[in-house]
Parts: sequence; C-alpha cells; structure tokens
Amino acid sequence: MRLSSIGYLIKQGAGNIWHNRIMSIASFCIMTVSLLLIGFTVIFSANVNMVISSVEDKNEVIIYIKDGTLEQDIDVLGEKLSQTPNVSAVTFYSKEQAFEDIKKDMTDAEEIFGYLGDESPLPDAYRIRITDIDNMSSTLMTIGTYENIEKVKAPYDFVNVLTGLNTVITIVCFVILAALIVVSFVIISNATRASVDIRKREISIMKFVGATNSFIKIPFFIEGLIMGLVAGVVAYFLTWLGYDSLVNILSSETTLFAAMGTSGFIPFNTFALYVLGGYVLTGAVISSVGTVLSTRKYVKV
Amino acid sequence: MVDVDHVSVTYSSDTPALRDVSLRIDDGEFAFVVGENGAGKSTLIKLLIREVTADEGTEHKPSIHVNGYDLMTLKQKDVPLLRRTIGFVFQDFKLINSMNVFDNVAFVLRSIDAPAKYIRKRVPQVIGLMGLGSKINQYPNELSGGEQQRVAIARALVNNPQLIIADEPTGNLDPRAKIETMKLLKEINDKGTTVMIVTHEHDLVKRFGGRLINIKEGRIAFDGMI
Repeated sequence: MRLSSIGYLIKQGAGNIWHNRIMSIASFCIMTVSLLLIGFTVIFSANVNMVISSVEDKNEVIIYIKDGTLEQDIDVLGEKLSQTPNVSAVTFYSKEQAFEDIKKDMTDAEEIFGYLGDESPLPDAYRIRITDIDNMSSTLMTIGTYENIEKVKAPYDFVNVLTGLNTVITIVCFVILAALIVVSFVIISNATRASVDIRKREISIMKFVGATNSFIKIPFFIEGLIMGLVAGVVAYFLTWLGYDSLVNILSSETTLFAAMGTSGFIPFNTFALYVLGGYVLTGAVISSVGTVLSTRKYVKV
Repeated sequence: MVDVDHVSVTYSSDTPALRDVSLRIDDGEFAFVVGENGAGKSTLIKLLIREVTADEGTEHKPSIHVNGYDLMTLKQKDVPLLRRTIGFVFQDFKLINSMNVFDNVAFVLRSIDAPAKYIRKRVPQVIGLMGLGSKINQYPNELSGGEQQRVAIARALVNNPQLIIADEPTGNLDPRAKIETMKLLKEINDKGTTVMIVTHEHDLVKRFGGRLINIKEGRIAFDGMI
C-alpha cells in the first residue's frame, strides 16, 4: 500500500471519530468505564494477594527436638533444616529461652513452676518459616524423616484458610475479569455497529468500485485504535486519581492495616506502568477488534 | 467484453431469477437491457459483478466471462480486481453527501490505492469532461439531479473502465437531464467503452437506438438491433 494511501486511511479513521462524534463519545465513555472496572478489579486482587502474602510470611512451624539430643546433633539438624527446600528463617529456640518466655507471659508463673527452680521442663526447638505454604505438607513430610525430632507443630488450620481464601479470590477475580472483558467487547461492538451502520452506504459504494476489504476496514480499525488508546490513557489517570485518593483516605487507618498484617496499600507508582500498558493494550485491542468485527456484515456486498 | 453462457441463478426461495441465459456483449457495444420489474435485470447485473453466483449446470456447464475474468472460478479475494474494470451508474446516484464533487470522484481512485499525484491530475480532468469543472468543490445536495448523475458518471469513468453498467440511470431525472445523461453515455461509448444500460424507458431506447436485450421471466426474450 502506498504511503499516501496509508496517510489517507489514517486521516479517514481520525475523521470518522469527529464525523460521528455522538457515537464516538458514547463508545469512548463505555470503553473508559469498562477499563476502569477491569483495572480496579485487578488492583483490588493485587492488594488482597499482598495482604495474604504478608500473612503467609508470618507462618511459623516449631520443630521440637528430642530430649537428650547432643549439641552437635542439634547443630546438624539445624543445618539440614536450613538446606531443606521451601524453608526459610531457621531459628534455634532453646528450652531455657522458651521457659523464660513462658514465665514472662504468665503472671502466676512463680507459683506454678517455682518448684522446678531454673531447670526448664520444655524441649529445645527450631522455629522455621515456610516460603510457599501451598507446599507445606510435603515440606513437613520431608522434615519428619530427620533424626532427633520429637514433634512438629504446624499451623495447618491457618494455612488451609489462607490457601482456600487465595484460591477463591483468584477464581472470583478471574471470572469478574473475563465477564467484564466479554461485556466490554459486546458493548463496544454494538456501539460501533451503530456508527458503522451510518456509513453502510459509503461501504457499499467502496465495494462496488473495487475497494478491498482491508482498505474498507482499515479506517474503522484506526478509529477503534485511537478510541481505545485515548480511553486507556484517560482510564489510567482516573485510576491514579481514584486509587491515590482512596489510599490517602484509608492511610490513617493504621489499626485496620495492622489487623490485616500489612502496612498499607501497594503504592500506585510500583504498578503504574503496568496499569498504563494494560489499559492502553486492552483498550486498543477490544476497541479496534470490536470495530472491525462490526464492519464484517457490511463488507459482504 | 461480457460472455455469459447457459447461466441460471436461483435464490433461496427456489424461484429462478435467471433461466439458462446466454449473452455476449462485445467490446465497444452500446446495449440496452429492458424488462419488467422482477424479470431478472438486476440479477443479471449482480451476476456480472459477482454479487451472486450462477447455479451449477445440469445439461450444460455454465460459464461467465467479464473483461477477461472467469467468474465461475474467480476467487472472492479477486472480486475487487474484476469490479475495478467496471464503472457503475446507479438510479439514486449513490454519492456520498459528506464529500464534495472532487472527493466523490477521487474516492474511487483512493479505494484502489492510486497514486496521489495521478488522483490530483485525473479527477479534475474527468469532472471537466462532464461539464462540472466549476462545481468541483460543491457538495451533492447543492447540485441538481442531472448534475448529481453526471458526478456519478464521472465517478464511473475515472478509473478508465472497460465496461460501464448503468442501472436505470435516468430514473430520477427530469426529461432534459435524461437526454443529457444518455448523450454523455453515448459519447463515452463512442470513445470505445462498452456501455450496458438497464432501463424501463422505451422512449429513450427508441431515441438512441443500439442493441436491445429484453429479459422476460428470467429468459432472454429478444436480443437484436433496433
């Protein structure tokens, strides 16, 4: 295709937006709202995942060591735990320390444990963290085969709840996203179909004079592309504004975040480029493909 | 050149629109196609521009050749190439109201990816031939019916087609504009372009003469010079 023809087609596509400005504004608004819904669903999901991850990081498994285990064997066990895949932060927790901690926590500790003197009745232990709690069971099965272990205490209920929650949120967000994309696509196709309908006479004349299908579709594609790109950029700024406002309003709620085990929302600038890229790409693809699909019926002359 | 041999066209309603039609229009001919409403005239046009396809033949194998294209084997992607060899003139002009006279005519050349320089030279030339040089920047709704039809003829002519098909070109015109339009089409034919005019208007046929093809109930009832 000639350069002059490409220029003409781009001009036609951009001109179409102005000629059909009412329909263009309608399509643009629908596109922007759809992108905002998609964007906020993704951002919400990312924040929930962050909360879940930060809670996950706080998981702790206690490995109680058999009484009478030699110090060097305790060190060997610690070494093995450190080298075990999916295990992080291996900390030795001596029986003396455990006893001290219990005494600190209990007001009537002297009464209960006084007869023991300073001798700890508790076992030595290792405290470890599991990196990926989805694989906690298999990791603990491996650890269970190590020597000198009395008992393993793991927060299974807590892990099950978190894993379940994570799965549910992922599925719900995925379904919402898929539905939003399909709905946006259908609405955009219908909105542009109306604007294409206005030009069906023009399209039929083009067909009669020997224009190829691609020549007819390119201005519509460009029109959709421009609309999608602009809607993507506008949706980006609205998201930025909306998200920052929300963060500002809720940032004072430190107790709420503390309860959730996190320090706050994910800062917008950490994912700003992904939001912009995602919006522009989604907007451009949905809008241009939707527009071109709307022309199919009219191109068949 | 148009060469149609043993062609029938049946729409989904099972009513044949054309029945075993054979027809040859040589280069440079001036032919009228007449017939009542529903006789099959429009189907014949649609057939020649590959908007409809012929039925599979039973006794004879149908064939359709238009300007060197074999329409029985023509691929869908090549249909635009066939149509670029044909100029159309419609009863309702089919001009684009948002474009001025220049753009309505240039539109054809732009649609077929012609060079911009050629468009700038060729379009005013053809518009001038139609006597509309002074109205090149006007819009269709600022023109009379006769002038609009002349723009439509300029559009049909701008790509130097081998064949012009005019479907009821005088149907929406006053008597004077009818004569002018017919004269223009005859002049175009005199310069070597094949012209096929589908019309109801027997007076014009008698006045301008030429070859007459009368279609009745999907068959060619008469084909001869008048």
